[in-house]
Amino acid sequence: MDFDWSPEEIAFREEVREFIRTEMTDAVKGSIFIDTPARVEFVTKMARRGWLGMGFPEQYGGSPNPFPLAQFILNAELDRSGAPIIGKNVGTIASTIYHVASEEMKMEFLPMIFRNEGQWAITYTEPNAGTDLGSLQCRAIDMGDHFEVTGMKHYITSAHFCRWHWMALRTDPDAPKHKGISIFIVDHDTPGLSLSPMSTIGREGTTHRTNQVFFDKMKIPRSRLVGEVNKGFYYMMEALDYERFAILSFASRVRRYTKIVNWYKNADFNGERPINDPYTRRALARMAARVEVGTMLERMAICKAQYEVPAVEAAMNKAWGATIGDEFAQLALDLMGPFGGLWGGEHSPFGGGLADEHLMAGHARVAAGGVDTSKAIIARRLLGLPNALGKPELPQR
Amino acid sequence: MDIKLTDDQAQLQEIASKFMDKHCSFDFVRKMEKESDLGFCRDMWRQFAEMGWLGIMVPEKHDGMGMSLLDTVVLIRELGRHICPSPFLFTSVLAADVIAQVGSPEQQAELLPQIVAGEKIYAFAYQEYSRFFRPEHIKLEAKKSGDKYVLNGSKLFVEFADGADTLLVAARTGEANSQDGLTLLLVDRNSAGISTKHMPTMSRDRHYQVDFSNVEVPGSALLGELDKGWEALEPSLHKAVIAFCAYTNGAGFEMHGYATQYARERVQFGRPIGQMQTIQGYLAQMIMELYGADMLTMFSAFQIDKGRHARGYVAKAKAFSADTVGHVMDVSSQIFGGMGYMEEQDTTLYLRRGKQYQLALGGTEYWEDVIAEEIIDREPVVLT
Repeated sequence: MDFDWSPEEIAFREEVREFIRTEMTDAVKGSIFIDTPARVEFVTKMARRGWLGMGFPEQYGGSPNPFPLAQFILNAELDRSGAPIIGKNVGTIASTIYHVASEEMKMEFLPMIFRNEGQWAITYTEPNAGTDLGSLQCRAIDMGDHFEVTGMKHYITSAHFCRWHWMALRTDPDAPKHKGISIFIVDHDTPGLSLSPMSTIGREGTTHRTNQVFFDKMKIPRSRLVGEVNKGFYYMMEALDYERFAILSFASRVRRYTKIVNWYKNADFNGERPINDPYTRRALARMAARVEVGTMLERMAICKAQYEVPAVEAAMNKAWGATIGDEFAQLALDLMGPFGGLWGGEHSPFGGGLADEHLMAGHARVAAGGVDTSKAIIARRLLGLPNALGKPELPQR
Repeated sequence: MDIKLTDDQAQLQEIASKFMDKHCSFDFVRKMEKESDLGFCRDMWRQFAEMGWLGIMVPEKHDGMGMSLLDTVVLIRELGRHICPSPFLFTSVLAADVIAQVGSPEQQAELLPQIVAGEKIYAFAYQEYSRFFRPEHIKLEAKKSGDKYVLNGSKLFVEFADGADTLLVAARTGEANSQDGLTLLLVDRNSAGISTKHMPTMSRDRHYQVDFSNVEVPGSALLGELDKGWEALEPSLHKAVIAFCAYTNGAGFEMHGYATQYARERVQFGRPIGQMQTIQGYLAQMIMELYGADMLTMFSAFQIDKGRHARGYVAKAKAFSADTVGHVMDVSSQIFGGMGYMEEQDTTLYLRRGKQYQLALGGTEYWEDVIAEEIIDREPVVLT
């Protein structure tokens, strides 16, 4: 058992930190999404270093993995500094293409992803298919050389700046619900595809845009079907295991917690110092232990990842991370008395940023396979309990 | 970075697990609770000695195995799984380590081989009438009188005080209400003026009040330096606390396993109760906490073995492991329904221990104060 990073791991982390010190500007900070020109450029610079395609074969534009934990170290440092991370484009889309798609599709798309050319939207969710993705209804009707789609999706986060959609559609309405879904790559400029914006809650200037996406007799060429028809649900579920792990580094939570402790260290309410108050001290201490447990569960997941897909550990990482993020946003506000409710202005801690964090903490609990869904995965796959959600067991690859 | 056990650790774990399966049944634990005078079994202690376990942390030059705290964590977690009652923690971890760290060459040469051979059992006489675990709260007085010390005062929660040969006593020799002015003394359990009173606990173990009335001990009883007792004790106490966390984590894992097994088998409303999402949520939450506590405990042991400043990690590991074992024993019992509260039900052995483990060796508030000192009063710990 060795909890220390190896010299090569430390050296790589230093390289990443140096890159961030050099390339990070205020315009880059503040979102994990690659949704502004500055963020796109930042990620492209990482792509030039070969950091997006680490671990994928060179014939597809990948680069040799320096060592098993390189991708994790990279993401942790990005997350810690508030930069866009190596997220779904690689973790979900490239991984799935690499495992299941045709040779032509791999040659067409993998090099572009690893060069950061063109962004992607994950176009799964529908009004009647959120957590229960297997219930999605939007049809793709097989017309021979193409599929035709009429219907809609919503909460599609990156749709307003994407070039492609990674889209799940129902291809067999008569099969059991998990066995009639297929994945397609859809060009955003396809005729018949249109958007309507939706906005997340937040102060003016801090909201995120998400989208409704409408399809009216949209045609998808058959060549854009990913892998086999009607296997899409299984591809999605497998990719979620990677995504929970790859996207949700715990590092940003450690960074935010540290910021909060530092704020309380310096806070002074007309001479009343929170840092001298035993309750405040213990509450922050208790949270420190819970944050540390997050780093431990993350370590467990990354160690497992050196040998196999850490499905259960990733679910723990997700469930604990989102729970803790919520807990300490709550705590930070609770300890402030009425000031916790301020959403900006002179007396507002972090200019309203903590209130934002509180509002979005619940979102982190429900996004990317929610806390309770993750617990169901733990119950089923680790503890061997019977299936509560009606999902089929996944085939072992 | 790799969290797989080494081959040696895996072998140690397997041997310990098999031994405990064979010798530390529920019947054995119940017998120790109700029928034994000592609360532990001297035959088992001899077997521990034969396997070398009692010297696991003792340097090889004093007949021990010279293994690390992390190795010890692997061993004691198996003892914890079976809630094995024994003076292992305070003898082979705490006393052995503090003697090895601050004892004179003569003390080391004499006392450590005795521990390894299973000839001497130690009890830890530290806690007094205080909610917390702070050295400032220690009042038991040791007055120097010629070449001797004279002890007056009371110690509480001294586990296995009646079965022990030697008491490791933290006594006040100097400044009051301070971390300074404490001294460690190795006191013969049979010294004149020592009396004990059993303190009944939920787990039916053997905790005692130990009263000292003009107890005279020779100058050779001094362990480490006069008035520097806390400096001598704290590093070893951290090791004992981490070993205790491993023990309670082991107990938590075992109890969680019983509850999970029951949830798979118990049918109500025509299906196993483990199919219900509420039950799944409880069990999933608890296993996350257990993994977290276990990892944090091993991580702390690793940091201590590397000789690094680990006070904050130890405090986090203790605070979190304590809350976890309390929570796991309670909620797991509830999964058994009414049966979880029947005397004949073996899982109640674990239930009765949960809260007590949580509060032992400094309750959560105490360790949260330590965390606060480490992360607020110093620079925030940079987590890497």
